[in-house]
Amino acid sequence: MDDILKTLTRRSFAASRARNWIAVLAIALTAVLFTAITTIVIGTAESFTLTIQMQKMSQSDGDLRYMTEEQFEALHQADFIDTAGLRMPVAFLTNASRHNIEFNIEDEIQAELTFCVPTHGRTPSAANEVVASDLALRDLGIEPEVGAEIMIAFTAHGQHYTLPMIVSGWYEALNSQMSVLWAGTAFREEHPEIFRYTFSADRELAGTYWSDFTVRSTLNLEKKLRELVFGLGGEPDDMNAPNYMPAVVNQVTNTRPSFFQITATVVFAALFMLCGYLLIYNVFDIAVMQDIRRFGLYRTIGMSRKQVRRLINQQAFWLSCIGIPLGLLVGFFTGKAALPLIMNMVVTEYRHLAADVSPSSALFLTAAALTALTVFCSTRKPIRIAANTPPIDAFRYVENSGGRRASRKSALGTSIPRLAWSNLGRNRQRTAFIMLSLTLCVVLLNCAGTAADSVDVEKETAFMMRTDFAVVNEASTSNFKGFVRRSDALKAKTIADIAARPGITDGSVVYKNTAEDTNVTYDFGHSLTGETYRNDSSGLTFGYDHVYNHYGLGDDGRMICNVYGMAENALARMDLREGETNPHVLYEKMAAGDGILVGVGVNRRDMSFVPMLDLADVGQIITVYKNGTPIMELPILAKAALNGDDQEIGFTVNGPNEIGGDGLFLYLPANIYEKLYEQPTVYKYSFNIEDEYEAEMTAFLEDYMKTTDPSMNYLSAQSARKSSEGTQQMIRFVGGFVGLIFGLAGVLNLINTIITTILTRRQEFAAMESVGMTRRQLTGMMVWEGVYYAAGACLFGLVLAAALNLTLVKSLVDSMWQFTFHFTLLPALGACVVLLLVSAVVPILALRCFRKGSIVEQLRITE
Amino acid sequence: MDIVTVQNLKKYFGSGPRQVRAVDGISLSIEKGKLTAVIGASGSGKTTLLNLIGGLYKPTEGTVIIDGVNLGRLQEEELTIFRRRKIGFVFQDCNLVPELTVRENILFPLALDNSRPDMIFFEKLTGLLGLQEKLDDFPYMLSGGGQQCTAIARALIARPAIILADEPTGSFDAKTSQNVAGLLKMTTDTFHQTLIMITHNLELAQLADYVVRLQDGRIVQ
Ligand SMILES: Nc1ncnc2c1ncn2[C@@H]1O[C@H](COP(=O)(O)OP(=O)(O)OP(=O)(O)O)[C@@H](O)[C@H]1O
Ligand SMILES: [Mg+2]
Repeated sequence: MDDILKTLTRRSFAASRARNWIAVLAIALTAVLFTAITTIVIGTAESFTLTIQMQKMSQSDGDLRYMTEEQFEALHQADFIDTAGLRMPVAFLTNASRHNIEFNIEDEIQAELTFCVPTHGRTPSAANEVVASDLALRDLGIEPEVGAEIMIAFTAHGQHYTLPMIVSGWYEALNSQMSVLWAGTAFREEHPEIFRYTFSADRELAGTYWSDFTVRSTLNLEKKLRELVFGLGGEPDDMNAPNYMPAVVNQVTNTRPSFFQITATVVFAALFMLCGYLLIYNVFDIAVMQDIRRFGLYRTIGMSRKQVRRLINQQAFWLSCIGIPLGLLVGFFTGKAALPLIMNMVVTEYRHLAADVSPSSALFLTAAALTALTVFCSTRKPIRIAANTPPIDAFRYVENSGGRRASRKSALGTSIPRLAWSNLGRNRQRTAFIMLSLTLCVVLLNCAGTAADSVDVEKETAFMMRTDFAVVNEASTSNFKGFVRRSDALKAKTIADIAARPGITDGSVVYKNTAEDTNVTYDFGHSLTGETYRNDSSGLTFGYDHVYNHYGLGDDGRMICNVYGMAENALARMDLREGETNPHVLYEKMAAGDGILVGVGVNRRDMSFVPMLDLADVGQIITVYKNGTPIMELPILAKAALNGDDQEIGFTVNGPNEIGGDGLFLYLPANIYEKLYEQPTVYKYSFNIEDEYEAEMTAFLEDYMKTTDPSMNYLSAQSARKSSEGTQQMIRFVGGFVGLIFGLAGVLNLINTIITTILTRRQEFAAMESVGMTRRQLTGMMVWEGVYYAAGACLFGLVLAAALNLTLVKSLVDSMWQFTFHFTLLPALGACVVLLLVSAVVPILALRCFRKGSIVEQLRITE
Repeated sequence: MDIVTVQNLKKYFGSGPRQVRAVDGISLSIEKGKLTAVIGASGSGKTTLLNLIGGLYKPTEGTVIIDGVNLGRLQEEELTIFRRRKIGFVFQDCNLVPELTVRENILFPLALDNSRPDMIFFEKLTGLLGLQEKLDDFPYMLSGGGQQCTAIARALIARPAIILADEPTGSFDAKTSQNVAGLLKMTTDTFHQTLIMITHNLELAQLADYVVRLQDGRIVQ
């Protein structure tokens, strides 16, 4: 007998098609939001991980080293290991020149996990076949080509080998410093003597088994891995133990989301939930209101509250069954399409890389669950109203439930706008919902617009770059390295080749001291505590002062400072603040050996000196020591405010940090610098370019970097500006997207409300028409009603936007130096104009629809 | 035996000076299987009385006992279930569910109660009301009289203790009105049903076993 109830559900569903479409649309929109955001969040996270994995050259969950054959075999038995690669390191090739080439035996799993699967050709099968990177092959003197012959030279077990090999395939190197050249297991069978295991006795790597692996679950991985090592008879901690076997978890692959990421995700999810709630609630609220008589009838005939609830729940369920999958699909593809755009905006390195998000069940389940939860929450109240409908009352008194109604009908005599105005209060809650979504739309758009407008592109660019181009060694731009050693110098040939290009103006070379220049030291009377530590990457000893600034120390225990040498045109670009501020006069004096320029780090927000870094005054004498003896006394002639470009280009600070530390930044003319340092090392070559040559220079540098000098890298003002503009676009995009969604929610609500108004008041309209109100006047009245909603929201929105701008947005923006607060209401005004237009058009379209009769037909059926 | 007993029943709407005493102290009892007609001027409290008996309103004061059950003692959900098993309603505008066919409309109360229809009774009932040909039609395809017959069948299908009819013929012309009333009387007689009917039509009131005349919420003779 339940059949009749089912039939009823099905037929009522079919009868109110228009209403159901709106409901499906609302649910689908919510699902789109959740899916799109989940896709984007997962995609961004995966892309970032992949980027870092590529830098670290492994996408495994961890790796094990120095194993014997038995241990390696046993590794596969561990239940938590999913796949495990085979890697038998042999040695670094001795016939490579600059590029470091590691020679391994590997299998395909290992190659896959460490990004060295051949993209051209195939994996090695014969004993004399190898796969290598393009950079390795070039370094070995041949162009990357399948079938090419190469010689490899290496030493293993004290024995020197030189073997001819065939390139069976090659891949593009991810790292300019180092890559893997690998052969298959056939090579091992051919040369068993190389793969004798002697590690425990002599630490010979050839013959040990290594493995990069993936696991089934990363839960407690560290602990499981240590247990595995012990189980295999290895010792994970003691480096000197004969059975040393470190268990390394790949921290990149197994990163935990940061607090910020979690917060951002939760905030967005909550915003979208609110948005979905506003939409779906409204749809169901209206549906229930329209059907209130029907529920009254059901209750009279004997339908229990539970049955009423089940009826609507079922409807919501079916609507969700259509809306959610629809939304999931649309959302997934939207997110997928938006992902590369977003990645482009936020990632400057490996720009081409955006992880391909595959439709995972976790993603869909999350989005579907969140949508379902939203549907559930937003239908609670309408369902309660429906279930509590008193039986018979619904028949007669529903019309009056709005209260204050009777007086309204007589309002015909007054103006149309007045009439529309009086209609607004009919359903306070619905009015509030529309207002809220439209207001949020205006406010969010404006906040995002203000924040984006406040990105100070010029300030950020100027801080990063003082010239159009700066060319350096690749190490100087890496967040992992920095300009530290003489080998990080920019090659003289590269400079010469670039300098020979047309259009260059103001070209200048800048020297910088390195970790090897420890025989030149400086004393300016700053005392240290005597406490020291060794910096592992530069190998220098550092000392502290009393405020825990740290300073790199030279051979004689004095500070080596960060010292730069440059030509006058480069010095003239600096921001001279105190003492001699005329760059020409200053340079002349310094070149004559009469003094020195000191640079002071600044607060990026206002470019004022950081007191803690402002260590010496103009006029103070700095004594220069060489090999322990004082050779010059240089008074400080001037002080300059430092930007990123004066220290290292961009924002990498590793170099100065690992040489002089926080200690003085000293700027010398090239002639004095060359006299002080035996081997002046060129840090960068910077220059401006005539406009018409800019594109050509960029192309030249890109090509030069690829083909001639892979160790070189460059930054251009244009790319700096682009990355800054990227931030701006990102804010616009995200803010705009969210704002738009709320706008859409508001407009949908508006459509819904207008249609409801027309439906519930058609008798009233008929009455009005019969007393002489024309169709035009009727339309006019509805248009006014729509416009009132929009106008109200706009007014609220503008006030709120202005208030938030001056408080929240301003304080957020002020806390970041790249921003300069810039008040604007233009985005809000733009949104208002659009909303006003839309709200005027919606009633016109809705009324036109009704005139066509299609809905009227349906009305008759449901009557 | 009395199937309905009403004692000192009162129903007031609102409060203060604008309070309406729609039913103001009514006591009556109705015998099983009889037709009672309720008449009175507009606004005299007829519908209110009927709704009180049907358990649609909670009385301000007094008791309603139907088939031995005191409605005042029932919880909201119990009352709903009691209503669908023991009381059949017929209204002026017949309030059929537009998406259901005539057959489905008639069986709807049973479906809500999850109980099996007695198909022989169903056949007989629809036969008496002349609905056999129209069982698969939708309400909008029927005439007003046909629709009201469907509503009458729906009210009777669960074999309730009483049928409450509020001006069941109010919106029809004289001839249809006569027909519908006749059918209503005939079916209730056939199945020995107790019927309480509000009517403005004095001819119809003639058919009744008892006539209750209301004025300002009280019974007048
Ligand atoms: N739910 C209610 N709320 C407020 N007043 C009500 C309500 N129901 C009825 N009344 C008032 O109670 C009085 C009696 O109404 P009732 O509907 O019972 O009269 P009636 O005899 O059925 O009239 P009619 O012949 O017009 O149907 C009327 O004055 C009516 O306005
Ligand atoms: Mg009445």
